[in-house]
Parts: sequence; structure tokens; C-alpha cells
Amino acid sequence: MDLSAVVAQQTAAQAAKYKSVAVEKEIPLEADVGLLTIIDPNPIDAEAYQADREVHLQALARDGVQALLAQVFALPTKSSIHGPLAILPQPTTKLPRAKPLPKPRMLTKWEKFANAKGISHRKRINKVWDEEKKEWVARWGYRGKNKEAEQQWLHEIPANKPADYDPRAEARKARKERKDKNELAKQKNLEYNARMQAKRDVIDRSVARSRMSTASMGKFDKTLEGEKKPRGVKRKFAPNEASSTEKERSMALISKLDGKPVSKKARIDPRPNPGRTEDVLNVRKAVKFASRGAGSLALGRSLEKPKKRTMSKTSRKKMGGRH
Amino acid sequence: MRPLTEDESKAVFTKLANYIGKNLVHLIDRPDDPHCFRLQKDRVYYMSEANMRMSISVARPNLVSVGTCLGKFSKSGVFKLHITALDILAQYAKYKVWVKANGEMPYLYGNHVVKAHLGRITEDTPEHQGVVIYSMSDVPLGFGVTARSTVDTRKLDPTAIIVFHQADVGEYLRDEDTLF
Repeated sequence: MDLSAVVAQQTAAQAAKYKSVAVEKEIPLEADVGLLTIIDPNPIDAEAYQADREVHLQALARDGVQALLAQVFALPTKSSIHGPLAILPQPTTKLPRAKPLPKPRMLTKWEKFANAKGISHRKRINKVWDEEKKEWVARWGYRGKNKEAEQQWLHEIPANKPADYDPRAEARKARKERKDKNELAKQKNLEYNARMQAKRDVIDRSVARSRMSTASMGKFDKTLEGEKKPRGVKRKFAPNEASSTEKERSMALISKLDGKPVSKKARIDPRPNPGRTEDVLNVRKAVKFASRGAGSLALGRSLEKPKKRTMSKTSRKKMGGRH
Repeated sequence: MRPLTEDESKAVFTKLANYIGKNLVHLIDRPDDPHCFRLQKDRVYYMSEANMRMSISVARPNLVSVGTCLGKFSKSGVFKLHITALDILAQYAKYKVWVKANGEMPYLYGNHVVKAHLGRITEDTPEHQGVVIYSMSDVPLGFGVTARSTVDTRKLDPTAIIVFHQADVGEYLRDEDTLF
């Protein structure tokens, strides 16, 4: 038998056993390797699907995964302790945002005025052209244009000013005043908006309460157009899985409980009993044992005079200096 | 399934501490195999975090039980321990009561422990203290609350109740359908 024929036969057998690594489709698969996603835009083959759904779906999935893995393996890799890792590119698919849009910010006094007057906001960049230096300088901040008057090397003093007139200090004062005025306006805007919000909240609450205050608890009332369904307060629970702080919280709770008696009903015997302690060691018994029934005073005396000591080494260890 | 709120945790911990005292710390602080308390419907379960993570994906109506059921919250917010918590209580119990062989069956049918059936009792047990009840061969049978302190039991007559019954392993048969 010819060797080449044998080889050809074996490769044919191999090919039959393992499917081709290259995936051929009428419409090429769309991949987003960044998200490890592959999309098959080809229409489903109805006949194959009807014949055996599972096999057909598995074949489709296999092709998709094969194509995806082929692309992943072509990516640049970096080594790690877990073996080589592929560096994924940025995802190309745009996903919808997870959170709702932020609520619009309340307008400041100036913004309201500007809207009413039709003044449109234009973005002011922090660079301004300096005619003398022939370059762009900062409008404020380090070497800012607004500090030009106070930082110049030569100051002109108007003729009508007194002798102790300090143009540098005056310019600085004027600049600081402008800044303070703006700060004040900002503060006032915040306060005003907070006040208005609080007022609105009160109104909302009282409206909700009055709607619930009819005989049917608001069930059969006519609703105005655009009126929303009143919403109750939603309960909030700790997340199920993020339990890193859960243990600490529990421990804190237990330590809080520690001070109080375990059960309100559990009564500890009020009779004086010095032996009753929480410890494993019963001090009264230990003293009695170590002193051979003579008591703690005798024990103390015997410890002072080591010659006459009556107790063994082990019993002294048990005492642990508690007497 | 959700973690307990602060009030719920407090109710559960005080109830458990009545039986196991400061050993409660060992239930929460388990560095080798972290465990947690979770509320599902009105029941409190004690489970490993690995189990908890897996059971998250089970829908609420489909989740029957996970881990060890410790007990349930009544409608008024009182926490009641179930016999299923016995394993945990028996492991860490602070005060124990052993009943004689002739007292085992009466206890397992839901009766209180009387003086005549009392085999041994932990020294210095106070009154109204949660205790775990064992057979003389150290098999946990249930738990209850002492009616008298250890000292006071000595002068009682044989029919006097020593431990009020709270739960016994007989409930596994009697309350099979509502227990877990």
C-alpha cells in the first residue's frame, strides 16, 4: 500500500472526527471580543431545526464559540501566575446604562435670569490671549490674568490718591471681594433651592395624605389628569451577597447585647456566692485546694515565706495570681 | 432571601444567647468556613456563605429551605426557635440537663421534664435559663427553660417540673409539614 494513501486516509479520518477549526458561514459572524460576545446574523435553517433542535442548536453554539475562541487566541497575551492571559480590546457594542438618568439640577438665580432673557451659556475656557506677551495665559490661577494688576512690577498711582495708597493691596482686595461675592451668591442659591425643595416635599406629603384620607382610603376618588399613583415608602435591606461588613455588624450587635442579662427572665441567684463566676476557674475552690483548707490569708502568708510553703508547684500555677 | 435587619438580628441573637451564651460568637466568626444568617419568608436559616451564594439564584417561591433552619418569626415579630436548631445549640450549650431513660419518652412526646426524670443538671444553672436536654448517653433530645435553679431543685418533690418543654426531636414526626 502506498504511504501517501495511508496518510491521506488518516487525515480524512481525523477531519471526520474533529470539526474544522475555521468556521464558514454565509454571512460572517459578528464578534465583540471585548465583551466575549459573538452574534450569528444567519437565518436559522428551518429543516435542520425541525429535524433535531438540540443537535442543531448545539452545532450553532459550537460554531460561535469556535469562532470566538479563534479570535481570542489571536489576541496579544501577557503572562501571569495562572498562565498566559489574553488582553481583550475595548468593547465595541454600546450597552444601555444600568442606572436611570440623573435628575436635572435646580437652576441658580443667574441661570433662571439667563433663560428668561434668552442668554445662552457659552463655555469659558481658562485661557486668554495676552497682547503684550503674545501668548495664551491663564484667566485665573497660577500667573492668572486676574492677578495681573497686583503682580505687575510697576504700579501707577493716580494723582488724587493719598500718599499711603497701596495699589497692590487695593487690586488684591478688589479681586477677593469679587470672589467672596460669587461665593455668597452660590451659597444663597443652594439655600434657596433647599428651601424650595423642602416646601415642595411638604406639599407632596400633605397631598398624599389628603388623598388617602377619604372613606375609601383614596380608592374610589377621581384622579386628576397627570396625577401619579401615590407611592409608599420602600423598605431597604442590606444586599444579600456583599457580606464583608455583615460579620462586623453582627459582632458589634453581640458586644452590645453582652452588657445586659441574656434573658429578661433569667434570674441569677442573688445570694452572695464568691465562687460563682463566668470563668472556668472556680477561684474559691482553687484557694481552698491550694491552701489545704486554710484560706487565702494563710496562703498569702505561706507565699511570703517560701521556706514554709505548703502547696505544690502545679497548684500555684492554677492560682494564676488571682487571690 | 435576605440578610436580617438589625432588629431581627437582635431578636435571633438574644434567643440563641439564652442557650449558648457567649459561644454565639463562634457561630458568626468562623474563619475557615464563613457562615451567615438569612431570612427566607419568615424563617431564619443559618448557612455557609458558599451555599448562600448558590441559593441566591433560586427564585423566592421555589426556595424551600437552605442550610439549617433556626426558627421563625411570628407575625408579631417574636422569634421562635425550632427543633432544627438543636444541632447548633447542643454543640455550644452552656447549661445542660440529662434525663433518665424512663423520662426520655415522656419528654419526646412533648411533656415537661419532672424531677423524677432528672438524671443530671449543670451546676449553678439559674432559674428561667435556656438549657439543652440530653439522654443519659449524651444524645441531645431537645431544649427548654429551667423552672427552678439547680439549688432549688434539691428540695422539690418528684412530680415538680424542672424544665419547661420548648422543643424536642419528636417534633420531626409531629410537625413534619410545618417545621422546615
